[in-house]
Amino acid sequence: MASSNIEFVYQNKIFEITNPDSNETLLNFIRTKLKKTGTKEGCAEGGCGACTVVLGELKKNEINYKAINSCITFLPTLQGKQLILVEDLILKNGSLHPVQQAMVNYHGSQCGFCTPGFIMSLFSMFKKNSKFKNDEIKDSIAGNLCRCTGYQPIIKAAKSLKNKSKIDEFSKSKKNTINLLKKINNKSVVIYHKGKKYFAPRYLMELKKILKKNADVDFLSGGTDLSLVVTKERKDINSIVYMNSIRDLNYIKNNNKYIEVGASTPLIEFESYIKKYYPDFTKILKRYGSPQIRNVATIAGNIATASPIGDCLPLLLSLNAEIVLQDFKKTKVLFLNDFFISYRKTKLKKGQFIHSIRIPVLKGNTFKAYKVSKRYDDDISSVCAAFNLRIIKNKVQSVRIAYGGMAAIPKRAIYCEKILSNSIVTDEIVSKAKKALEKDFKPISDMRASGLYRMEVAKNLLEKLYFEIKQKKIIGVYF
Amino acid sequence: MKIENFINENRPHESAIKHVSGQAHYTDDIPEPPGTLYGAIGWSKKSHAIIKKINLDEVIKSEGVIAVVTEDDIVGRNDVGPVFDGDPIFPKKAEYYGQPLYAVAATTTELARKAVLKAKISYKTLKPITTIQEALKKKSFVLKEKIIKKGEALKAIENSPYRLKGNFTTGSQEHFALEGQAAFVIPQEDNDFKVFSKTQHPSETQQIIAKMLNQKSNTITVETRRIGGSFGGTETQSFIFAAICTLLAKKTKRAVKLRIDRDDDIIITGKRHDFYSEYEVGFDELGVIKGLKLKLASRCGISPDLSGAINDRALLHIDNAYYLENVLLENYLCKTNTASNTAFRGFGGNQGMMAIENIIDHIATSLKKDSAEIRRRNFYQKKKKNITHYNMKIEDNIIQEIFDQLIKSSNYKSRMQNIKKFNSENKYIKKGIAMTPVKFGISFTTWHLNQAGALVHIYFNDGSVHVNTGAIEMGQGTYTKIAQLAANALGLPFNKIKVSATRTDKVPNTSASAASSTTDLNGAATLNAISKIKKNLSEYVKRKYKIKNSEGIYENGMVKFKGKIFKFNKLIKEAYLNRVSLSSSGFYATPKIHFDKKNFKGRPFLYFCYSAAVSEVIIDILTGENKILRADILHDAGRAINPAIEMGQIEGGFVQGAGWLGCEEVNWKTNGQITTHSPSTYKIPAVSDMPEKFNAEIFKKGKNIENVINKSKTTGEPPLMNAMSVFFAIKNAIASIRDYNINPKLDAPATPERILMSIKNLKKKYEK
Repeated sequence: MASSNIEFVYQNKIFEITNPDSNETLLNFIRTKLKKTGTKEGCAEGGCGACTVVLGELKKNEINYKAINSCITFLPTLQGKQLILVEDLILKNGSLHPVQQAMVNYHGSQCGFCTPGFIMSLFSMFKKNSKFKNDEIKDSIAGNLCRCTGYQPIIKAAKSLKNKSKIDEFSKSKKNTINLLKKINNKSVVIYHKGKKYFAPRYLMELKKILKKNADVDFLSGGTDLSLVVTKERKDINSIVYMNSIRDLNYIKNNNKYIEVGASTPLIEFESYIKKYYPDFTKILKRYGSPQIRNVATIAGNIATASPIGDCLPLLLSLNAEIVLQDFKKTKVLFLNDFFISYRKTKLKKGQFIHSIRIPVLKGNTFKAYKVSKRYDDDISSVCAAFNLRIIKNKVQSVRIAYGGMAAIPKRAIYCEKILSNSIVTDEIVSKAKKALEKDFKPISDMRASGLYRMEVAKNLLEKLYFEIKQKKIIGVYF
Repeated sequence: MKIENFINENRPHESAIKHVSGQAHYTDDIPEPPGTLYGAIGWSKKSHAIIKKINLDEVIKSEGVIAVVTEDDIVGRNDVGPVFDGDPIFPKKAEYYGQPLYAVAATTTELARKAVLKAKISYKTLKPITTIQEALKKKSFVLKEKIIKKGEALKAIENSPYRLKGNFTTGSQEHFALEGQAAFVIPQEDNDFKVFSKTQHPSETQQIIAKMLNQKSNTITVETRRIGGSFGGTETQSFIFAAICTLLAKKTKRAVKLRIDRDDDIIITGKRHDFYSEYEVGFDELGVIKGLKLKLASRCGISPDLSGAINDRALLHIDNAYYLENVLLENYLCKTNTASNTAFRGFGGNQGMMAIENIIDHIATSLKKDSAEIRRRNFYQKKKKNITHYNMKIEDNIIQEIFDQLIKSSNYKSRMQNIKKFNSENKYIKKGIAMTPVKFGISFTTWHLNQAGALVHIYFNDGSVHVNTGAIEMGQGTYTKIAQLAANALGLPFNKIKVSATRTDKVPNTSASAASSTTDLNGAATLNAISKIKKNLSEYVKRKYKIKNSEGIYENGMVKFKGKIFKFNKLIKEAYLNRVSLSSSGFYATPKIHFDKKNFKGRPFLYFCYSAAVSEVIIDILTGENKILRADILHDAGRAINPAIEMGQIEGGFVQGAGWLGCEEVNWKTNGQITTHSPSTYKIPAVSDMPEKFNAEIFKKGKNIENVINKSKTTGEPPLMNAMSVFFAIKNAIASIRDYNINPKLDAPATPERILMSIKNLKKKYEK
């Protein structure tokens, strides 16, 4: 039986909420119901990190500590997890957690408003036995904005944790926490709250049954788009199906022909898996969003929103990925290329859901991807490009090129591909291929970039690709 | 025995432990009395329109709504303009997209925010003016233009062997303090109101609310314990929120909290002024400027707000560190249908400085000389060439020393050679380097604002000390530094001093915490209050113990008079029992300054802060992507009260400045609608934008020659301008494409797009 109550572990106890409002954000719950005001609202859209909290999730008898943005997390998704807030890090006797102490020692706070968020991001890093290398530190706080310090003292504070003992109160009470999590871990949730429905199935079959009865639902994974309906558009979402609770869909399989990624697999897990096949995929995913986002967001979510600037999409298109759709009865496999219809419209029918994504394993191909945005960290692309080529003896045998940010949907550059296909690539061919992009795309101007710039960059990325392949080296300013 | 000294010491921020453990309260964190309501504001969707009708029926009917307020609820002044009118709380005519029109109080913030969207408003749309160019063309100004002359600029330019012309733009900037606008108002008896506001300026908040309610100022108390960053964004822009929140509290007779959503915050409030300049400069073969004609125009938005003072500060910093013999300045304050632009760290000074730095850079490229050398040649000198264009003699000039030291410590010259080599070997990736100076004047240019009060109590039972001032703690560490000064003056441990929340009923008539002068003013007032209490004590000791002419030395918890030593606590207790006052107010008014705004002459500043920076960048000429590889800063903080805190300002200011000139771009549609109002579209620097190598240092020989607390110099605003070096390093990298022979046209912010387009234009020029 599914439960209409949610249970989570908080301060070493099981905390139960009866019939919660599925549209209430975790941040709102923390600040107004728990009356803990250490967690701050900075933007209510997952873009500044001030609301960062850490969730402990049971994974193979261990606790996986994930930093998340509580402002775009709906309360019921807390089911079965441990909630850790900035206030919980300090001991009863007043002594600070090593992460907190380091931030004090290195003058890591000025106005202090962003500080709790930084503490929680660094705490999650601390709990993952990080080596506190420069890159890891930067990645872990890439989703936390600070307007005062310029980040240097925060980085110094993080570095100082390198040689510190990793034992803290949370490791001491780990066994107990695991036991508590096990007690509450096994339940599906169905909530009816003032006309609003919320489903968090655990199994595929449950999901199918829910969809059979409730065709008009919104799927929730990372919530980067959907939550904003509540926090920004100030509307209700009447029917939510939470995908990330479905265990059957949290997997990565590989049959040597393709890698299959289940719809509820978090990006952060996928990005480390895909690295040995397509290193550039990982490179782009690191910049896809902050760890707070990548901890909960999924490829399936990115595909379903069908945003022209979704960073996974051009990459998947150029790799000719397939998408597995299911409904109560049938399974259907489509090329991703055929999935997008128009601006944010897809072929996903009512009652249907994205089951998984299949990414071909291509040996001997050259796969390169580029993301260009105003800011390196946590920004939306002006242009994102992916190139998948098979080159034998200087001749292009096959080529698939796709761009994001260049049209109303993520789209292949067919004319450009035609020029390159079966050609021996020369300067002249490259400049023809660049020109062909003008036939492929008519990019728009907005606050991120002008159409002119987008086209210029799209062309130049082709030149960059050519140069990088020719010179066998990577050129760029980020390293 | 070592004498405990609490100044010149690295101490953590007084709230550091509270910050890291979530225990520091900001306005929205203050516990609420039962029955508290929550507000939200409805605003104009047109940037210029007559409001024909606002139908709020659906708003009032919306779930949880308790009350709605409009223009009709304002009995007094319907304006929050600080100096001039022009910022109506609820206007009759909408003058910008985002202008508040009405507000609601509801049982939760979520319900209030839902409700405000339900209004039906009919507008008669008018044509908006949104850009500086349009405003100049239509002569749409918020204040009268200014013309300033020194010497004979036109003649000097004409007689110069070299002349250049050009134009240059610096962009706007959203404050993006992590804590957004917030207010919390609790009605009191007698129609009094207790107002908690996220503001840099409690006193003016008090006055504006009093005027709006048609009540006396003594009925309003404003309190601010700390604010989550501000940077000028709540020097005036907080007033409207405190005012509306009070209106709601008055109407409902209940406590009301008004926390503004990030998007609404950015849409409703003003930002940094963007500036457009046109210049004509004459110089000699050494690159020394002989004459300068400069037109400066700024986008002020709909009202004067602080634009007059901001533009004045731009004019006062058009020299930066350079001696300008012949100057002709024109200044236009453009009225546009955009939110009223306002104070932002640097307050126009930085915009003025960018204008001259761009000119110097242009001169250097045209002479094919190192720009640092051209800068050096134009510096103010000590004995001659030391009078500014506003007739102030510079007496504390140390820019030469700072520049020389940094040029060596940063290996500027050898790195420049390495960069040239790198650039000749790399087709797509180019490096650039630049060095820029900073000279920034300290004091409010409005003379009367240079005053501050303080209130100090010593409690007789335990000798603990309570300090209150007009200073607002916004992350700059002013409470910490004031507590350090007080501890030092009383010879007490730091933990015996408590600086309490800033309140208008403790210290009245305060100036905004602004102009970098907060600690200078309020710290000095605190010391004045302490000296009065000390005087009471020494008079008592003299009287009681017949000791002559002894002021007492306060050290390590002891007080030493000639021939008599007390434990501090014992003396305090004894003094109390002998009916001696242990409480005093204090006051400070900045000496020496005077400024005739009309003739633009005088000594507006008590002293100058000096600094210099060298930045090295790398750019990708295929995409315009860029990165700061290294930054070296040498900054004059005088004798710093708390070097760790000053360092935080120096590094943080630099990165904020790099954002202003780099990735931060405010964008409006042609109809005046702002499109960058959230962190997903407006990008402030994140961790990877910090320089790869970041060497910031405080100038060790620094000492304020003026009588400022501890001989220190403030650090608030000046570090921001060190980021000018980043912009010119980018320009330098672009110029490498044509062997440094052509001056690239580059406006700020240098976004990847601007960089790429600059490169494209440069290539075109060459092809011609």
